[in-house]
Formats: sequence, C-alpha cells, structure tokens
Amino acid sequence: MTVVNTIRVNGVDHEIPANWQAKRLLDYLRTELKLVGVKEGCGEGDCGACTVLVDGEPMCSCLLLSGVVGGREVTTIEGLPREYLDKFSSACETHGGVQCGFCTGGVAVMSSWMKNGGTETGVEPVSKLLEGNICRCGGYQQLTNAIADIN
Amino acid sequence: MASALRPSHLPEMDLQCPTNLGDVFRHISNGAQLLAGGTDILLQASVRGEPNKLVWTGGIESMKEFDADSDFIKVGASVPLSTMIKSNAFRDGAPAVADGAQSVGSLQLRNQATMVGNVCTASPAADTVPGLLIHNCVVATIDKENNKREIALKDFLTGPGKTNLGEGELVTCLSFSRLGKNQMSAYQRFTQREALDLAFASVAARLEFEEDGQTLMTVNLALGAVGPTAIDASAAADILKGHPISEGRLDICADAASQLCSPISDHRASAGYRRQLIRALVGDVVRQAATRYGNKK
Repeated sequence: MTVVNTIRVNGVDHEIPANWQAKRLLDYLRTELKLVGVKEGCGEGDCGACTVLVDGEPMCSCLLLSGVVGGREVTTIEGLPREYLDKFSSACETHGGVQCGFCTGGVAVMSSWMKNGGTETGVEPVSKLLEGNICRCGGYQQLTNAIADIN
Repeated sequence: MASALRPSHLPEMDLQCPTNLGDVFRHISNGAQLLAGGTDILLQASVRGEPNKLVWTGGIESMKEFDADSDFIKVGASVPLSTMIKSNAFRDGAPAVADGAQSVGSLQLRNQATMVGNVCTASPAADTVPGLLIHNCVVATIDKENNKREIALKDFLTGPGKTNLGEGELVTCLSFSRLGKNQMSAYQRFTQREALDLAFASVAARLEFEEDGQTLMTVNLALGAVGPTAIDASAAADILKGHPISEGRLDICADAASQLCSPISDHRASAGYRRQLIRALVGDVVRQAATRYGNKK
C-alpha cells in the first residue's frame, strides 16, 4: 500500500507529514503553509470561502482530506497570477464587488477558473457558476458584473 | 506557538488510501468506513465525531470507470458528478439523471461528490435518485469473498440513510439505461434557493411517444423527498397512456401521484405543502420532458 503524500501547492512541491494526512486540506494550507487567503466560512462545503483549484477544478478545501489530494496540484488565491489579481481587484472596485471581503478569496479563485474557460455544460451564465460562493454582504449582482467585466 | 486559527471540527482520524480492493476490504473489517467524495461523510464526522476511521476508494483504478456511450450508462464509485455532467453523451442519454446531478450542492461540491455516494447516503431527498429510478438503475456490489450482486435501485434503497448493502459489501458502480427511440426524461425539484439546498419535493418523468410523436405510449414517474425513499409513481401515470398530453389528464395524474406519496412535516416544509408541490411538479416535469422531446425532433 502506498500513500502518495506529495502535493504541489502554487507550483511548489510539499511532503504532507503523516499527522496531516487525515486533516482537512484547508487546515494544512492555512496552518502549515500559512496560505491564509484560503478562508474558513462555514466549514461545511456551502459557502465557498475555502475554494481552491485541485488539478485545475474548484473544490471546497474544508471537505477534502490532505491525504486524498496526494499527487495532485493545488492552487490557492496566493498562486493566481499577479496580472489576473490586478484585473480582478480593479473590476471589483469598478462594480462595488467587495464589501467585507471574506468571500473574496474564494470568488477570485472561482473567477480565474471561469476566465480560463471553466464550465460544466458550456452554456452557464456567471451567476450559475458562482452558485457555490456565498456572499453575506449581498453583493452577488456586483460580483457577477465585476467577473463579467474581466477580459 | 499557540495558533489563533480556528481548529478543525473533524475528530482525530485514521485515513487509508489503498490502491487495490483487497486492502479496502481489510480496512473495512478493521472498522473503517468508505470515503468517496467525502461531501457527506466528512460533514457527518464533523457533527457527530465519527466515523474516525476512513478508507478512501479514489485510489482504486477500476472504480474510476465511466462509460456514457453504451446502451447502459455505467459509472464507477469514484467518478465525480462533474465528470458526468461534462459528458454530452450522458446529458443526452439520461436527461433526468443529468438534471438531478446538476442540482446537487454547488459546482465545487460536484467536483468532489460522486453519484454512487449520493445513492449510498440514501437521503430521501437525493437529487439523482428519482432520475436513476426511471432510468432503470442497477447497483453493482462486491464483497471480500468476491461475491458480486446486481440489485435494482428500488430494492437497494430501504429507508432514510438505509440500503440493503451487507456488512463488508461495497458498491462498485451504477448502470442505468439510455433513452430509447421516441423517449425523453426530465427531473425538477422545489427548493428555497436554487443551489446548496435540499429538495422539499422532486419529480422525475420519462415519456415514450408513439411514432406520431404526440401519443404517449409509456410514462414512468418517480417522486423524491416525499417518503422514506424515492417513490415509483408510474401507476399514477396510467391515465396519460394512449393519449396526447392534455391538461385534464395531467391534473388527474398529478392528483394520483400526490396520493401515492407519504411526506413528513419538518423544518423544511409541511406534509400538506409537499403534497401540493408534487401536484404542481408532476405537470411541470411531464410538460418539460414533452417540450424537450419536441425540440430534439
């Protein structure tokens, strides 16, 4: 039996220590790697604040065990290209897409996935693709407009 | 250094990630529970503090099989819902199942969650189950002595959270039928918000038309979240057979379906409200399937 326990996070390989295998990826990223742009909102897979890309697909890092992600590539908001983050933040500024900012990290990751051609059926609007990111400030329309405005 | 970070809600756990079935069965006999996508079981572990021994099936090559091109669509236990949803062959071949799959959780969760997991969690409100029922789903299982069983989904589900899976037995894959000639299916549910919510009530329908494309030959109906398991309500649709779709017959069918179910009242909806929802959804779903059929022709 082999446990693949290396993960590549934002382009850098990390050995996941044995005591982290059965803990949440969210905690590993925040505590061990200090990638605190990954937020814990609900811890139940609903809010999307902890969204990261695993092999390029958005997932909730609060419902993934570190051991399960062995051998795969994880991208957090810290790993998004600076150029993209600049576009995202200026679009949010223009459209009023940020209030408290807690959901913003997850939304940034999600929007970068969309802008890289991410889709399920090829026809969904931004609002549908953003269904897994809850914003309690009520900024959905602003966020949707901001993301639509990024080119 | 003391950490100001919020600790995980998960209990101390043991995780095994084997790459062959023999090791999976060995861990099961040591008390480990199966972990597929984890979107249900990790939540359960956070809330109840157990299970704290898990064996992940994502490392087993044979469980990653997904074949959407054959007459029977086959999906292994480790295939995430999003992999299925991205397949045109799946969406065209089993629209009601695809509708259900696309209703589950959110995009992020569908990248993790599996259809086999949705079935094995056996929630009465499981979004993929009504569609799977009307697409004649069969559940394939295996145990450590290599005994294999194939069980019709309607017999597999026995109650809320209950299946007839034996001890030490696990589900390897689901297979369900593609639409045949002159057939169409659809699934709809009623929720308070579109994503990240559980169905108050849900209905799946599969229609088969005569050669004229108008007269209904057979109609299969399944109802979700209005009984201990999803309910086969095809008997309620007898009135539709041999006729083109009409509002009058649809009303009678919807009434009959709402009588067949046995909903409970809970924090989400009252039993009476759920019955009303079934009455409304049956008409909506049959009409949606008919419209889809018309658009396809």
